[in-house]
Amino acid sequence: MSKEYLGEFEELVLTMVGILQEESYGNAIVEEVRKRLGREVNLSAVHVTLYRLEDKGLVRSRMGGATNARGGRRKRMYQVTNAGLATLRSMKEARIDLWKLIPQLKFNY
Amino acid sequence: MHQPPTWAIHFLHWFCPDHLVEAIEGDLVEQFEEDLRIRQYTVRSARVKFAWHVLRFFRPSIILRNKISNPFNRPAMISNYVKVASRNIRKQKLYSFINAFGLSIGIAFCTLIYLFIEDEKSFDQFHANKDRIFRMEEKSYDTWQQDPKNPYSRSAWLQTGLMKAMKDDLAEVEYATRFNPDSRGIFRYQDKVFTEKLSYADADFFKMFSFRLISGNPDKLFQNKSDAVITLNIAKKYFGDEDPVGKTVLIDDEGEKSFTIAGVIEAPPANSSLSFEILLPQENRPYYDRNVDNWGNFNTPTFVQLGQNVNLETFKSNLAKMVDKHMGDRLEKWRKRSTVPIPDDVNMFELEFTRITEIHLKKEIGWHKVSDAQYSLILGAIAILILIIACINYISLALTTSAARRTEVGIRKVVGAQKNQLVYQFGFESILLALISMIIGLGLVVLFLPSFNGFTGKEIDLLQGDWISLLGVTFGITLVVGIIAGSYPALFLSGFRPVQVLKGGFTSRLHAGFAKPLVVLQFALSSFLIISSVIMYRQMMYVTTKDLGYNKEQIVVIPTQKGWNEESDRTVEQFRSRLAQENDIVSVAGTSSSFNEGWSRYGYKVDGEQKSAYVYAVDPQYIPTLGIELAMGRNFDPAIASDSNALIVNEALVKDMKWKDPLNEYLNWEEDSLSKGSRIIGVTRDYNFRSLESAVEPMFLSMNKEATGHLITMLVKIAPGNVPGTMEKISKIWKELYPDRPYDYSFLDDNVAKQYKSYQHWMSIMGLATAFAVLISCLGLFGLSGINAVNRTKEIGIRKVMGAELINIFILLNRQFVWLSLLAFIIAAPLSWYVITNLFLKDFYAKITIGWELFAVSVLVGLVLALVTVSYHAIKVALSNPADTLKYE
Repeated sequence: MSKEYLGEFEELVLTMVGILQEESYGNAIVEEVRKRLGREVNLSAVHVTLYRLEDKGLVRSRMGGATNARGGRRKRMYQVTNAGLATLRSMKEARIDLWKLIPQLKFNY
Repeated sequence: MHQPPTWAIHFLHWFCPDHLVEAIEGDLVEQFEEDLRIRQYTVRSARVKFAWHVLRFFRPSIILRNKISNPFNRPAMISNYVKVASRNIRKQKLYSFINAFGLSIGIAFCTLIYLFIEDEKSFDQFHANKDRIFRMEEKSYDTWQQDPKNPYSRSAWLQTGLMKAMKDDLAEVEYATRFNPDSRGIFRYQDKVFTEKLSYADADFFKMFSFRLISGNPDKLFQNKSDAVITLNIAKKYFGDEDPVGKTVLIDDEGEKSFTIAGVIEAPPANSSLSFEILLPQENRPYYDRNVDNWGNFNTPTFVQLGQNVNLETFKSNLAKMVDKHMGDRLEKWRKRSTVPIPDDVNMFELEFTRITEIHLKKEIGWHKVSDAQYSLILGAIAILILIIACINYISLALTTSAARRTEVGIRKVVGAQKNQLVYQFGFESILLALISMIIGLGLVVLFLPSFNGFTGKEIDLLQGDWISLLGVTFGITLVVGIIAGSYPALFLSGFRPVQVLKGGFTSRLHAGFAKPLVVLQFALSSFLIISSVIMYRQMMYVTTKDLGYNKEQIVVIPTQKGWNEESDRTVEQFRSRLAQENDIVSVAGTSSSFNEGWSRYGYKVDGEQKSAYVYAVDPQYIPTLGIELAMGRNFDPAIASDSNALIVNEALVKDMKWKDPLNEYLNWEEDSLSKGSRIIGVTRDYNFRSLESAVEPMFLSMNKEATGHLITMLVKIAPGNVPGTMEKISKIWKELYPDRPYDYSFLDDNVAKQYKSYQHWMSIMGLATAFAVLISCLGLFGLSGINAVNRTKEIGIRKVMGAELINIFILLNRQFVWLSLLAFIIAAPLSWYVITNLFLKDFYAKITIGWELFAVSVLVGLVLALVTVSYHAIKVALSNPADTLKYE
């Protein structure tokens, strides 16, 4: 259907938004990636990627409420759209299809 | 509690778009806090890390991110827009052609006007010291012709001695040169003899101005008073491929002198206020010695270059002191002698100065290349008018053809297009069309530029111009046009409601209410141009065909080339007696100046009242040769000795003097206290010896060569018939009699017509603009009437079945266009009348009366054009067989 293509990092961030659900914002994604994959990602890269995903209509954002932490600044909260979910799903399926094509792995003694 | 570095936060706020900054800053601060609290960083390293992260945000996708940056954020859609737009352009070839034609002409006009304005602004900008070079000007209280609104007269022609005085007395002046732009003289090198334009300047000329010297030493030039500097063209003309430097030439301007070519200079560019071909030292200017110490004679423009950091206010006050030193006594005398009262607080004479870059548009001071900023305004207004007319075409055609796009809009909306996406789509289409027009328009610019240069008297060269800014401006105009023309149709088209559109079943006619006023506006603009051109054309016809009171046909004007002396008078006699042997020469007359080739005017006091009159030195053949009518008295008679001091005056002078019986009067124009003055022997009917811009003013003819001037021009009246043969003969006789003098001739009627050259230019520009405007609006009308006819095909079929005649249908279809154009005309008529009387006709004393018949002609022209345009479709539809149109239902 679409010629749109997600980069590895875009896919990662999109997945993280999906995982974090209600608590998904820039810093939380950086933390989540560190916690789950042990990978250090840069905050600015995450932000830029989120904007790009929003442009593509895969996530949408709104400003959250103010808290006492972080100097009273509000968070920009992200949420996966239906289109984003569909993209994630189709990518996962494509990958599983490919996985299935690999012959069963055997250990050679 | 530790804080992140404030400078980093400020920096973030500075580059980051407002709608992003809060969330980013929040995330950064949160990270900072966690670094301290959880990861136990030192305050210092946490701050460094904070700053580092801020810096990482300093990247294009953040800085340049803007909510409105890219509405077409789906590349897939753009390709779809392009596809649909190009399909539409191809499907509706006629309308696309009409639109592209109109827009490209509009864009081409605007680009040309831009080039014109840029050229006007570029004048004299090429001088390296342009900020320090000034032209000196005088402002003096006008006691000659008092105009209460503007009692001062201004001029750039100053005293010969001023340059030296300024250099001696004023410390601010670094360099100074006099510059007489346009004298003429005979230039001779071996057997090559031509009349050339001479300019007189001083040694500093080469240090002040940035004209490139090709050979010659700028520090040494003109130290020798017989140096001459010539441009490349002159060098090529006389010396061919030889090196001109060091060659000796003879130049005759009121007396022959020999000069040595000391340098070759590049010709001044077209956008230089100073133009020259041959530069000679000022000291060689005729009557230089007589004028150099006379502070009452004004005969040379003067330019100065001031030192760095000169305060212009002190310069001005020092100038006043200098004027007082050299002219104080004289000014006091002038004040006392003045015939009009001079208020005490009025300064009789002041020196002012204008920066060289500003003199081109300083129209109040006469200069041989001065221009008026108003020209740019008028041209710009014309270009915008045409652009508006073309935009209206686009809008009205887009609205009336929108029926075809309704289904598309409906489907797009149903599939999920937002209204603003449709707005973008239609806007995109109009910009695409505008871009296509831009390419055609640029082609038209290249095509039209030579004739545009001809009309405006400019030498704009695209190859030397600034391509980038030209393309930038054209692109800007195109975008603006695309947006203006596209915005209303886009809003209108995108407003369709899908349910209504797709359900179908409503008539194919569409009520785009806004289209009609637009058509009226378009017609009004076109009628405005039509009426203005008709009036201009009539005025120019009137001026060129009006009886001037003398016969300007078949008269050849030949300068004697001998200068202001008795030799010239003798040349006239000699040439006359030689030509008398030829039977196709009617007569030969001599005069001090032919028409439109300068004039002289004398002022004199009669009973304490200041009067003035134009003066022409003539011989007895003058009046018969020109066919001037005498109202009373007689012509000069060579047999009567006293005639040499007698005058023939015109009726305007008689009226000015309030003479009852002019033939018994004397005019004491030399203010001779011992005699009564010159006797009047004849009165001519008023004839227009100057341009029709002014009334016939007092004038007299005299044979007194000592007092009024020598006969330096011959007027040769030739018999009609074989004009080329006669001209050949005169040229041969001239070469035989005066082999050493160039034979320059012109025709009197051409010379007289030249007075109106600039008006002719304007008329041509106006005519061209009108032709295009009318063409564009007629094309638009053609398209509109076509759509209108198609929309009503079925109605007309039914009417025909019911028995309507061809003529009824014709009237039915055309009635509304006639009404619209009449309405437009009523709007345009007073507007054009006002504009044309105030901008064009005001310059003429002799002018046509604008009567109803002028408007009638214009409206008739407009109506006929409109009717012809709409008739094609009306007749086609009216003739169609109702069976064909009604059988599909």
